[in-house]
Amino acid sequence: MGLFVLRRLGVMLLTAIALTFVVFYLTNLPPNLEKLARTEGSVRMTDEAVQDWIVKNGHSGSIFLRYGQWLGVVPGWTYTDEKGQSRGRCFQIGQDPALAPRYCGLLQGNWGYSTFFKAPVAGSLGAKLAATGWLMLAVMLVMVPTSLLLGVLSGMREGSVTDRTLSTFSIATTATPEYVSGVILVALFATASTGISPLLASYGLIEPNKTLFLASATSAMDKITFWNFTLPVMTIALYGIGYIARMTRASMTEVMTQQYIRTARLKGVPFRSVVMKHALRNALIAPFTVIMLQFPWLLNGVVIVESLFNYKGFGWTLVQAASNNDIPLLLACSVVAVIVVLMTQLISDIGYVFLNPRIRLA
Amino acid sequence: MKDLKTGAKLHPAAQMYATEHADGKLSRREFLTRTTALGVSAAAAYGLIGLPAPAQAQEAKVGGKIRVAMEVKGTKDPRLADWPQIANIYRGWLEYLIQYNNDGSFEGRLLESWEANEDATQYILKVRPGITWNNGDPFTADDVVRNFARWTDGNVEGNAMASRFPGLVDPETKTLRDGAVVKVDDMTVQLNLTASDIAVVPNLADYPAAVVHSSFQDGQDPSTNPIGTGPYVPQEVSVGQRAILVRAPNHTWWGGTAPLDEIHYIDFGTDPAAMVALFSSDEVDANYESVGEFIDILDGMGLVKEELVTASTIVVRMNSTSDLYKDRAVRSAIQLAVDPKVVLELGYNNLGATGENHHMFPIHPEYPELPKQVINPAGLMPALEAAGLKDVEFEVISLDDGWEAATTAAVQAQLKDAGMKIKHTVMPGSTFWNDWQKYPFSSTTWNHRPLAVQNMSLAYTSTGSWNETGMANPEFDALMAQALAIADADKRRELAAKMGTILQEEGYIINPFSRSLYSHHKEGFAGLEHHPSFEHHHYKWSMA
Repeated sequence: MGLFVLRRLGVMLLTAIALTFVVFYLTNLPPNLEKLARTEGSVRMTDEAVQDWIVKNGHSGSIFLRYGQWLGVVPGWTYTDEKGQSRGRCFQIGQDPALAPRYCGLLQGNWGYSTFFKAPVAGSLGAKLAATGWLMLAVMLVMVPTSLLLGVLSGMREGSVTDRTLSTFSIATTATPEYVSGVILVALFATASTGISPLLASYGLIEPNKTLFLASATSAMDKITFWNFTLPVMTIALYGIGYIARMTRASMTEVMTQQYIRTARLKGVPFRSVVMKHALRNALIAPFTVIMLQFPWLLNGVVIVESLFNYKGFGWTLVQAASNNDIPLLLACSVVAVIVVLMTQLISDIGYVFLNPRIRLA
Repeated sequence: MKDLKTGAKLHPAAQMYATEHADGKLSRREFLTRTTALGVSAAAAYGLIGLPAPAQAQEAKVGGKIRVAMEVKGTKDPRLADWPQIANIYRGWLEYLIQYNNDGSFEGRLLESWEANEDATQYILKVRPGITWNNGDPFTADDVVRNFARWTDGNVEGNAMASRFPGLVDPETKTLRDGAVVKVDDMTVQLNLTASDIAVVPNLADYPAAVVHSSFQDGQDPSTNPIGTGPYVPQEVSVGQRAILVRAPNHTWWGGTAPLDEIHYIDFGTDPAAMVALFSSDEVDANYESVGEFIDILDGMGLVKEELVTASTIVVRMNSTSDLYKDRAVRSAIQLAVDPKVVLELGYNNLGATGENHHMFPIHPEYPELPKQVINPAGLMPALEAAGLKDVEFEVISLDDGWEAATTAAVQAQLKDAGMKIKHTVMPGSTFWNDWQKYPFSSTTWNHRPLAVQNMSLAYTSTGSWNETGMANPEFDALMAQALAIADADKRRELAAKMGTILQEEGYIINPFSRSLYSHHKEGFAGLEHHPSFEHHHYKWSMA
């Protein structure tokens, strides 16, 4: 078991190195560096000024050496201009370069300086991850119980009216991508002129010109309320609910046809008890993996939903980092993504053992 | 030095402008722009034409805060600032020598007064006494000289001020020429230009020209060490999220007390539809700009509308480096196939005035009346055929944002109607601006500048730093050099007429309209008038 976990962590490290190098290479392609120069210097710089900027800000020379700087195995770059003012990787303008460390990469615990946020990557990304963490927590709290319930209910009696109704609902929600369901939800619940808000206002249930929910989750950064958080949470959750419910249903129907279920029923055990005691645990093995797989999927979903609802979390950060070619921020984002994906897989593999005694970890 | 008296003597041209105004040759806005640019105070200028100066608002109520929806871009070294939004944040603590007001006049801020000699080659700048930085240092002529050196440094990549003061720069070193900016005494600075320059005053008022303290390091983010002369300091600047300005502690601002306690800028993205939701859910008190169909919607919500007619415009331009647009006949045919009236209606809901394909507008003092161009869609295909471009598929590129895209689409539709094969490609801002000067055919927005020659010298001279057409017309360059030496707008108008004609004939640009600008705010706030270059003058804002 310990060896297994250790081996997995090793794989995680290798994947992270490989992925960050790929990201580093792509963000350091000349057109991307030019884009960076233009956002950092001035949109209207001449081509010569752009090339100058790239050289003077540590983006020239061998790509391996620059990647080494990020890792912290190569000394950070410095540049001193004709007026004797210095800038470099390891210190900010205005600080004394003599006091700065020579190496300042990942190994030294330095994630670099985000050109977009104008702040160290670690601090700003940490805050954004916390914001996304709240969103994911809320999504999980809504999605997991709802989808399991729907799945079990419809898988209990295959082909019944309940099954057909719930299946239709699940297929419909999972077939609707977030960018569609988000827009539909906004139109239905968060517009003063369409959907149900004007209706509620005319009944006097909400104030005129107000909406049932808020179409922007920016204020949820400070204080989460039902009003500002419902729509983004529902947008992500709806997609997952359908998917997990379908998986649970499939697994539940299969279990319900097993010999031991029939035996239990023939013995006269009440149906309720058969489902709760005999079927449920066996039926939950497959959905458990799927739920764990949903975490990486959520990272994907938040990119769309956070942009749509202007919620400034990890997904929004990723979009901003990519569109501004913020190299250290993108690298840190990829490390986070690798860790999230491989950690959830590790948890799901270990969890499997507990749910299914037939499986052993080597 | 005898015509450089720094006393209260009126500039000779001011009297002449007053006569022109009385004759109806000059509008009030033009009169104010020109006379105040010559160093006449706004009050004296109003007096010359027999009007009382606009009453200073009665003692504004002190206290309160405002929440403004605006993109929060990272603050950077002011001279590198490339968006008004960046400046609107550091404006809280960094001030300007001279300020351009939205009635077209120039007002001394850190300068008490200034005076130009008759051919605009020498300026005397008088520093306003009694100004201190918020760290306690006095503001003196040394600060002015040091900032001129920063602005004129052409070796800094992206320095937006570098090309603004050609008369002060040593072309060899690309830095401030010796003897160009002289400290006469602690409160007086003299500018000695190598050539006449009438744009010195407007340039000093533009948003990258914020004055920084001696401790400011080149390239630094000004919010990390916010030493300035202004009434506020930044409490927080979180890029993409919000910026909060609060009253500077232990600082006596020279202008008295700025009314509002706190100014919050919140970044809600740029979707105008979101703005409607934000106002209705009481998330914001004011916005940065209202556009297109949303102006009516916001009006309908009982908000106060601020409107301003400007010379802000859009230019759909061709570039000479592309083989398709090398031929002047082709360019002219394309230009004349587009009816500005239709573009204004489809692209901007008629919220502006039509343009004349020469990037000058009636608000500019030197605006010339040129013969109207004849719109002739029927002439397009014969011209393309003659150039062998009949079956080529053309492409016009624009930003994917609301009215820029709509305007470009309206141009494309008209060209299509005239028989041309043309498609419209939209790009997001992050990619569009990387190559904005190089696209063969694309649209660019241009902000308002007080004098017409300012935009024209940047955009259409062969050496202009924002030349996006590749136009290099020696006659135009020569005329521009002359025009930039003539302070008298009437004389300059003759040259402007010639330059306008050249621009029209070269056919590089379709300049369909100038925009009115709008913004909205809730009732209960005062002083939030819209500004032609989107400047936020925080000290004018108050709770009503």
